[in-house]
Parts: sequence; structure tokens; C-alpha cells
Amino acid sequence: MALLEVHGLTRFFGGLRAVGNLSFEVAEGEILGLIGPNGAGKTTVFNLVTGFVRPSQGEVRLSGRSVVGLRPNAVARRGIARTFQIVKPFPGLSARENVTLAAFLRHPARRDAEHAADEVLGRLGLSHRASTLASQLTLMDQKRLEMAKALATDPRVLLLDEPMGGLNPSEVDVAVGMVERIRRGGVTVILVEHVMKAIMRISDRVVVLHHGEKIAEGAPAVVVRDPQVVAAYFGRRAA
Amino acid sequence: MSRRAAALAWACGAAAVAALPLLVKNAFLLHVVILILMWTVLGAAWNVLGGFAGQVSFGHAALFGIGAYTTIILFLKAGVAPWWGIPLGGMAAALGSVPIGLICFRLRGPYFSLATLAVAELAKLVALNWESVTNGPVGFLITDLPQLRLLGHAVDWEAKTPFYALAALLMGFALFATARLRQSRLGAYLVAIRENEDAAEAIGVDTVRAKVLTLALSGFLAGLGGGFYACYFRYVDPDAVLNIGLSMEMVFIPMVGGLGTVCGPLVGAVFLTTVGEAVRERFQVGHLIFYGLFMMIVIRFLPEGIWGRAALALRGRRKEAKGVGAA
Repeated sequence: MALLEVHGLTRFFGGLRAVGNLSFEVAEGEILGLIGPNGAGKTTVFNLVTGFVRPSQGEVRLSGRSVVGLRPNAVARRGIARTFQIVKPFPGLSARENVTLAAFLRHPARRDAEHAADEVLGRLGLSHRASTLASQLTLMDQKRLEMAKALATDPRVLLLDEPMGGLNPSEVDVAVGMVERIRRGGVTVILVEHVMKAIMRISDRVVVLHHGEKIAEGAPAVVVRDPQVVAAYFGRRAA
Repeated sequence: MSRRAAALAWACGAAAVAALPLLVKNAFLLHVVILILMWTVLGAAWNVLGGFAGQVSFGHAALFGIGAYTTIILFLKAGVAPWWGIPLGGMAAALGSVPIGLICFRLRGPYFSLATLAVAELAKLVALNWESVTNGPVGFLITDLPQLRLLGHAVDWEAKTPFYALAALLMGFALFATARLRQSRLGAYLVAIRENEDAAEAIGVDTVRAKVLTLALSGFLAGLGGGFYACYFRYVDPDAVLNIGLSMEMVFIPMVGGLGTVCGPLVGAVFLTTVGEAVRERFQVGHLIFYGLFMMIVIRFLPEGIWGRAALALRGRRKEAKGVGAA
């Protein structure tokens, strides 16, 4: 059985259908790439799955249990964590305090939470920035911190919203390595990303969204040659 | 601060508070000190919600008023002695805060603040018009406090010392509650909510529950302050205990002292009460101008508050000392 099932997911904003009848599944241990042109509805899908926005219709199940209608904190407790495209750190707190807050979810005692936070910071290469204020971190480190916070909630599925956006090529390589390590740590990953090089390298499977609908699904190398996908990105004439 | 240093600080503070009435014989000065203690409780009440969780309420007078009315009504109509009535006033305010929170916390930021302002005005209108319970605009007056013997002595309610002891007890409780909150997971979550509410939800913080719980604690402390006010001033009417000015004072005290700190409300209450009483004595007309000027200076030059700045400086120096030691 798939770990995460999305079935018939639909969301209207007024008259605009941001996501329409979207279905896909993610198996345990998989990295699924979610791609599509700007405005395709990728971030909306994340908001729907994590409870930040309620679906107009459709179902989201984790291990067969529906998470639709739960508030974001309850979804996080069930084991679906997310990052934000525009990073949302707790700016006035140190990196360590940021991650400790997230670790509190599974470790009610402060000492245990701090211990777990240190472990996650080490895994993502942030230990040397542990006492730096989140607002003072470089963008790369803020993206790291964003992932560290999500990981510290000990999720089963991690939704990464453009973790590589705004990074330079060598930083992208580092980020790719981090995502792969996260998967090896036993966390299933859904990745929204525009950096194609990265998506191609690490995704097992790709789902392509256009105007909120799924237009293609499959192995990355196959999907990029799909005429519909090329048309969505570059226009009909290119296809 | 290490545990032992914290325990020492608490012990010194308690000793100072216990010694004070032996040193201060002047009734007016003791009155000012009692006011400081009462305002510390009220500042601490606002601080747990506004300072820690960043939820700026302009309606805490409503919670103060619930406490004051509960205590005085229980005393005058049911004969409940103030030392039971004050905690019951706190509990009534905590209970009253739950529906207020469930409604107002649907809004965020300035919209929340405006909603609380409306709640305080509603509370005042209720008190003015619900005459069978609140006596309307006339209010209540306590003429005699009950006879009480403590350690074989009759308590003299005409003196200031019993009220001083009561206020000191309440202040100790308020500061202790704040300190415990700061150490707890809920306290940490409140800081997360203040820093970024969406990010807090994303890491599993039930933000609504955390805010409602904190408002209840805040309401309890504000209600204790209100109950004390009713017993000390022996007079409760809508203008006295449901005044918008009260809500504002409760904002200013932790702001001047240091938002989100344990001792901030105490420091803020010391400065604002002494400055307020000093200028009131000197300039009968327009004393609020000077009070306002003081506020402006503090907010302009010490945005983290007097205690907040002092704590920062202290921590900085300790870090420097550590650095030197390591090198």
C-alpha cells in the first residue's frame, strides 16, 4: 500500500480552480518530484496536503487514514512535515532554538528536545551555526534550517517546497546530497522544484502539474520528453 | 541563569519584600509600594500573552473588571471573605477569557487587538446595564472588611500592612507563574507563535490551544489583580474597573520593563508608578504630559525595555568574560 495517497484533490479559489481532480500516490522511501510551470498549483497541493488550506473536494490519506480537515499542527503530529518556499524561520531565535521548538513535538522534555535538535543540526551540517540567530543565516543555511525544523518533527513524509530555489550551482549539489541523505534516513520525500538538474537526479518519479491538473507522471527521463509537458513549459510550437 | 543563582535571586527578592514594611513607615510611600505590587501582577498578566505570545490585547480591563466584580459581589452578597474572593475572581476571569479567546483568536495581529478593544467596551456596557447584578453605574462600596485573626492578632484593615502582604503574595505568585511558564514547553511554543504563527503550526504547535490556555492564565492573573483592587480601594464601578485606561496601563508596564521577560513587569511597574505618582504630586494640571513624555523616551531609546536592556547587557558581559577565559 502506498504511504501517502492523494485522490481527486480539488480546490477552488473563488471561480479559479487552483487544483483539479488531482490523484497520485507515494510509496514508502520514494522521492517524488512535483513539477510544473509557475502557477501550476504545486504549492497549493502542499497547502492542501498539510492542512493550511482545506480542499474543496478530494481525499488525502497517510497509511490509509484521512488527514483532510485536520489543522496543520495535527497533520504534523500524524507525520507529514513541510518546508516553505519562502523560508519561515523563527527569526529572533538561534538555529538551535528553532530546531528545538520543532523537536518538542516528539520530545516534551527540553533536554531531550535539545539533544534531538543537535542531532538534526549535525545531520544537515548546521552544527557550527547552532548559536547564530536564524535571521543572520545565509540563504543556504536558512534553507538548511527550514529542512532541519521539518526533520526534527520526525516525519514519515517530508514535503520540500523549492529547497534549491535561489541557490548557486554548487549549493544545489550540496542540497541534492542532503535530500538523498534524508531519504536514506527513512523519510519519504515529495519535492517541488524548478531546478531541473536536481529533479532529474534525485526523483524516482515525477508528477507534472499544469493549471492544477496532472498532465504527466512517470520516470523523470520519460516525462521530460512528453509532448504535453514540453508544450506546457515552452508552448505548443516547441512541442 | 543557573538553578542555584535563580534560587538565590528569588530568596533575596522575597527577603527584600518581607523587610520593606519594616523600613517604610510613611503610609503614602507604603501605598505607592502596594500600587507597584498590584501593577506588577497586572503587567505580568498582560505580559504572558502580549510579551511571550506576541498577542497584543487592548482589552485586559475586561478581565480585571471580571475579577473585581466577582470578588466584591461574592463579598457583599454572599459573604465570601476576600482571601477566597480574590482567587475566585481570578478563576472567573480565566473562565471568562475562554469564550473571548475562542472568538478573538480567529483574528490575527492588529485585528485581534481591535477585537479585544471591542470586548472591553462590551464588558463595560454589560456592567453599566445589568443592574440586577452589577448595580449599574452606581457600583459597589465595601464599608467593613470582615474580622480576621491571624497568629493571634486581629488584622487591622485600616492599616496598610495587611494589604501590602496580600499584594506581595500575589506578585510573588505572578512572577513565579511567569518564570515557570518560560521554562515550559508551552512557554517555548508561545515564543514560536510570536515569531511566526504559520511556521509554528507547521512544526506541530496547536496555536489555538496554546493561545487560549495562555489567555486563561493571563485572565487569572488579571482577575487576581482586579480582586485585590476591589478589596484595597473598596469601591467598584464600571468607570473604575472597566476603563480603557486600565487596559493601556497593562500594556505599558511590561513594555517599559521588558516584553517577554520575568522581571520586566516589576521593573516597569516600579518606574511607571513612581514617575506617575511623582509628577501627579508636582503638577496637578497636565501631569499626564510628563508621563507620556517618559513613555516616549523609553520606547524610543529602550525598545527592549529597561529590564530587557539590562538583561541583554548582563548576558553580553558574561559571554565576553567567558571568551576571555577561553583565550
